[in-house]
Amino acid sequence: MNLSYREKSIWGSLITTLVVYGYYFTAVFSAARPSQVDRTALVRLMTAVFVIVMIEVIYHTVIALTSKVEPKDERDILIEGKAYRNAYFLLVGDLFMLMGMIILVGMTPFLTVNLMLFSVVISEILKSLTQLFLYRRVV
Amino acid sequence: MAKSRVRNNIRKLRFHCSEMTQQQLSEKVGVTRQTIIAIEGDKYSPSLEVAFRIARAFGVPLEDAFHYESEDQGAQE
Repeated sequence: MNLSYREKSIWGSLITTLVVYGYYFTAVFSAARPSQVDRTALVRLMTAVFVIVMIEVIYHTVIALTSKVEPKDERDILIEGKAYRNAYFLLVGDLFMLMGMIILVGMTPFLTVNLMLFSVVISEILKSLTQLFLYRRVV
Repeated sequence: MAKSRVRNNIRKLRFHCSEMTQQQLSEKVGVTRQTIIAIEGDKYSPSLEVAFRIARAFGVPLEDAFHYESEDQGAQE
């Protein structure tokens, strides 16, 4: 498959997000007391963020050196806009659900923060998937 | 999503311009090659500005590069 620079960039971000946050959330939600803040949980979160940033920087440097970097044009911006719209609707839906859970169930701040982060990550994944779909299929 | 009713003669115009490649056209117009591919395949309707730039790249009027298919023409296909 002949991928453009932008598609390579999106694939890289998507896979990094899936792997690193997949590992992070598996560890957080399978912990014995997922609602408790402890040193390990904070270190795990900081490590996940640091690893994502490092991988993204290295990956984007590599594809910038090996692929032809093309500036965004109107179609890229249109696709990005549609992807952000989908991600926004999902994020808003998630946040309303989360607010309901906080009111009805009552959750600790740490669990709330992790569920909010989870919503953001899921929205980011949807944004990337929408972009990849539109680049290949429709627009 | 409905397929665009904006049709184009880009493939033909590229052929008449010494087989200009999609890459060369994209550089002249200032968009990515993927965008040229999408426009050429009637999958994406460019903005008026890009349409003018494409026509100018071939040195032809806009109507020679693009035309809008009427509903009757669309139904016949």
